[in-house]
Amino acid sequence: MTGTPPTAGTPTPRRTVSIAAPVGEGAIDSFVRQKGRGVILALYTALRSIKLYPLENSAVQKALADLAALAQEFVASEHELDVRVSGEFIFVNATRLRLDLDNYASFSHVLSVFRVCGIGTMHVADVVTARDWQVFLTIVQVPTSLEPHDRLTEVLAKLDAAGVRTLALTPPSDDDGEDRERAKERAKKTYTQSVTVTKDLMTSVRMGKSPNIKKIKRVVQGIVDQILNEETSLIGLTTIRDYDEYTFTHSVNVCIFSVALGKRLGLTKLQLYDLGMAALFHDIGKSRVPVDVLNKTGSLTEIEWRQIAAHPWLGVLALFQIRGTQEYPYRSMVVAIEHHMKADLTGYPKPIRPRQMSMYSKIVAAADGFDAATSRRAYQTVPINPAEVMREMRDNPRRGMDPIVVKAFINLTGIYPPGTLVVLDTFELGIVHAVNPLPEMLARPLTRVISDPMGNLVHPGEIVDLADRNPDGTYLRTIIKTENPERYGIRVSDYFV
Amino acid sequence: MTLPTATPPAGDTGQQELPFPPGPIEALLQLFVKAVRAHQLYMPNNPVYKGAIDAMRAGFAPIWQHAEEFALRFTETEIRWHGRPVLVEASKSSDSLPWTFFKDGVREVTFAKGFEETELVKLLEILQRLRKAAPDEDDLLTMLWEADYAFLRYRYVDLGVEAAPPAQDGGAPPEKPAAEQVQASVRAQIEDPRADVVNMQDFDATLYFLDEKELDYLRREIDREYQSDLRGNVIAILFDIYEHQTAPEVREEISELLETLMLLLLSANHFSNVAYILSESQVVVRRAADITPEQRGRVGMLPERLSAPQPLSQLLQGLDESADLPSQNELTELVQRLQPASLGTIFSWLPKLQNQRVRALVQQAADRLATGNTGELVRLISAPDRGVAMEAMRRSAGLKTQAGVVPIARVLAGGDVELRQAAVAALSEIGSGGALQALERAIEDPDRDVRVAAVRALGSRSHHGVLGRLDATVKGKALRAADLTEKMAFFEAFGALCGEAGLPYLDGLLNGKSMFGRREDPELRACAAIALGKVGGRKAQESLQRASGQKDVVVRNAVNRALRTGGPNS
Repeated sequence: MTGTPPTAGTPTPRRTVSIAAPVGEGAIDSFVRQKGRGVILALYTALRSIKLYPLENSAVQKALADLAALAQEFVASEHELDVRVSGEFIFVNATRLRLDLDNYASFSHVLSVFRVCGIGTMHVADVVTARDWQVFLTIVQVPTSLEPHDRLTEVLAKLDAAGVRTLALTPPSDDDGEDRERAKERAKKTYTQSVTVTKDLMTSVRMGKSPNIKKIKRVVQGIVDQILNEETSLIGLTTIRDYDEYTFTHSVNVCIFSVALGKRLGLTKLQLYDLGMAALFHDIGKSRVPVDVLNKTGSLTEIEWRQIAAHPWLGVLALFQIRGTQEYPYRSMVVAIEHHMKADLTGYPKPIRPRQMSMYSKIVAAADGFDAATSRRAYQTVPINPAEVMREMRDNPRRGMDPIVVKAFINLTGIYPPGTLVVLDTFELGIVHAVNPLPEMLARPLTRVISDPMGNLVHPGEIVDLADRNPDGTYLRTIIKTENPERYGIRVSDYFV
Repeated sequence: MTLPTATPPAGDTGQQELPFPPGPIEALLQLFVKAVRAHQLYMPNNPVYKGAIDAMRAGFAPIWQHAEEFALRFTETEIRWHGRPVLVEASKSSDSLPWTFFKDGVREVTFAKGFEETELVKLLEILQRLRKAAPDEDDLLTMLWEADYAFLRYRYVDLGVEAAPPAQDGGAPPEKPAAEQVQASVRAQIEDPRADVVNMQDFDATLYFLDEKELDYLRREIDREYQSDLRGNVIAILFDIYEHQTAPEVREEISELLETLMLLLLSANHFSNVAYILSESQVVVRRAADITPEQRGRVGMLPERLSAPQPLSQLLQGLDESADLPSQNELTELVQRLQPASLGTIFSWLPKLQNQRVRALVQQAADRLATGNTGELVRLISAPDRGVAMEAMRRSAGLKTQAGVVPIARVLAGGDVELRQAAVAALSEIGSGGALQALERAIEDPDRDVRVAAVRALGSRSHHGVLGRLDATVKGKALRAADLTEKMAFFEAFGALCGEAGLPYLDGLLNGKSMFGRREDPELRACAAIALGKVGGRKAQESLQRASGQKDVVVRNAVNRALRTGGPNS
């Protein structure tokens, strides 16, 4: 039972088959996941030590020995070791390994090495000695200007010449490309359904009715699944700026950013769900603010400002309408009241009883601040450049954001967040597509080139990695500055939808 | 193990080549149906239940010999494996396994090796919850998602969410400049850099690496998030809003929310949260600006309302019936916030509580409340409810509340036997001069047990005020008709109090003979011996020695005992 994509003029079919969140979490960490993580970390350690020290150094020898032992243990238990990279994920024996705080830099490095060498899968069915690992890891770290496909051919030839036959390397499968397209379509569906359900939610609250909590739960579960599967597409959709539906798209965007950030911080699936619910509800208090005040374009009177500033506590009261048969959404209430309080509690509303701002409030505050500043609203007809917003969040303590959360947020979006229009030193224009998976390349995102050096705008344009280098080691492209898309008649979201 | 990266095969109609015979799959599904039924009907410790679970677990073994995982597809009435029906249940009811999965959108479930060890029971619990769920409660998809399985995957059709229009930016598309204009603008930007140009050499990406301290901070913050008391936090928020906002409709809404919340928290035994509501309600009444009498009445009266007999009875009843009990501290915290008037209700409930642990919890909590409210405690001694009166007397005694003596004495004078017995015990425990004085009359009580208890208490506390009455009783005819225990109690007390003044009488009883040469009744003589033992001293000893060779066993034993123990303090 597969879904059919919507075509112009035809009603969108009601049902499509989706794939559930991939098996991965569960209360018990499986052997494969635990040991798989160990193997990848050992790979990373060996890669780094080979890069930093001579081969005969004891640190290198120990790292190689550890890697060989771990891999051997794995193969002895599971009969094979199959490491596959796909998008931003690493799969070990078809089990996806999650990135979390403890390992994301290491995993990202291994991912990038595999990607540069055109390795889609590394298969081990036999004993791989420390010497074999040493040869392999040395070869893959030699600088190259070859394309990944050619690079893999070169790596295989070198391994064969060195007599290493225990590692089977294959390129990425074509399925990966199809997977990405499917993921993109799913992201779009998730996004639009989320906005629709959020609109229903806030309309119900405004009318004093009880909203459909089941739909809301399913929407947040869908966002969590999407972020866990493939976050790039969904984050890209946050560039959709619908002026009229701002409140609803904003709530969804904050939910997406918050869940993505939470994933980066290592929250479990259920914790991400809690965070997502709180983020989706953070501005629900605006349902109790008169619409004409919310949408006023001119400056607000004292009374009107107080009405808007009341939305955090109004949100708490509104959330008491949402219960169903389970407990009240207490966590969401805390985030609703705290998200404008600032980390030092000097924001609004001022607490009377002792309080320490919750972590989820800090996350939502960062996501909220970013999305609000980069959106066009009734009183902010020109949105602020995302990179400038990021800089402001980072550099201005008066914003009241937790600096470590902001740091993590920048890790998520990059210095130039998705949707930023950039001018490249090649006289091209680009739209930042996604953060670079290499942690040290936060300022060199994956970028969609949307104009040629002659100024012709193109759609959709090619996605390039700004970390790519020329044979002489210099970067192929570098961001010179960020720009306002409207100056060039560009609607950023057209490149994400 | 393989990942479900491809969409499932279209349609279920065609049968595919089977990787192994369907027998084990069919057998497993029969066991699944039985396990679901067992989970509905039996408790986990029931042998039938355990047998059903074990059988289902064993049912997976033959399948794992052929494959690491297997997928089942669901239609309205069938479960299919590789296109072949392996379970058919025609009725579309909550008892039908295919329908249960199908109706909520699940179309395929894949079980992986290991599922039966750790996740089987979780699935059965979900199916059971689903049977009892109301239409607006969570459906199977939501529950499966929350269960977060490691060895089970599923595909579904999202029936609950409507199709939405395609995502697109709002507003009219912007006007695009000509290529030459774009080129010129880009060149101008490059050649004439402005303030917002980033200097790449200055930028250090390592600024954004989270170091170990920062990682620790984030982990601790996440732990704190989940250790925090969310309900308490929300209660504090509500009271903050109440204090900030003076609009009557806002305060009314919050008052209503607090009342509803209180009921919910009581039902769930979150007593420390309820205690917090009660204490903060008093704070807010003092502190909130512009609070009207009606508002004060509503929010300020929360402790009083919970202390009223009916709501408090509900609380105690709920506690008695609950499987999940609060800690002592939590319950004590709540009870201390109640009004003193709640003591009466608590006392009346104590004897009715079935759960021993609950009774212990409530008793201890009540002790704390009583300690702080002795006035109310004393008042309850005169309560018309005899259970309450008994409890109040008992606790007054425990607290040695002097103010309780007078009302207890009244009970002694007018209550029923059980009450009078309790009064004697209480006065005895209080032990003050006034209490013992009030106890004196009790040695003449119509009830034997009351008399005995009273005289023992007075004797053990050496209350000389009762000597006159004792003397009269000991020498009177009524005691001679009493049983040995009563006689003994009186003589012991007499002995403890009379000193050498009582020697002639006691010696006369023990060793004397009547005009006709007959001795006194052996029981009386034994009592006299014991009393002489209490008197102590040389003369008492001599009197006892004279009787030591007595033939009568009762007398002889008493004499020997008295000689051994001897002394007024024995």
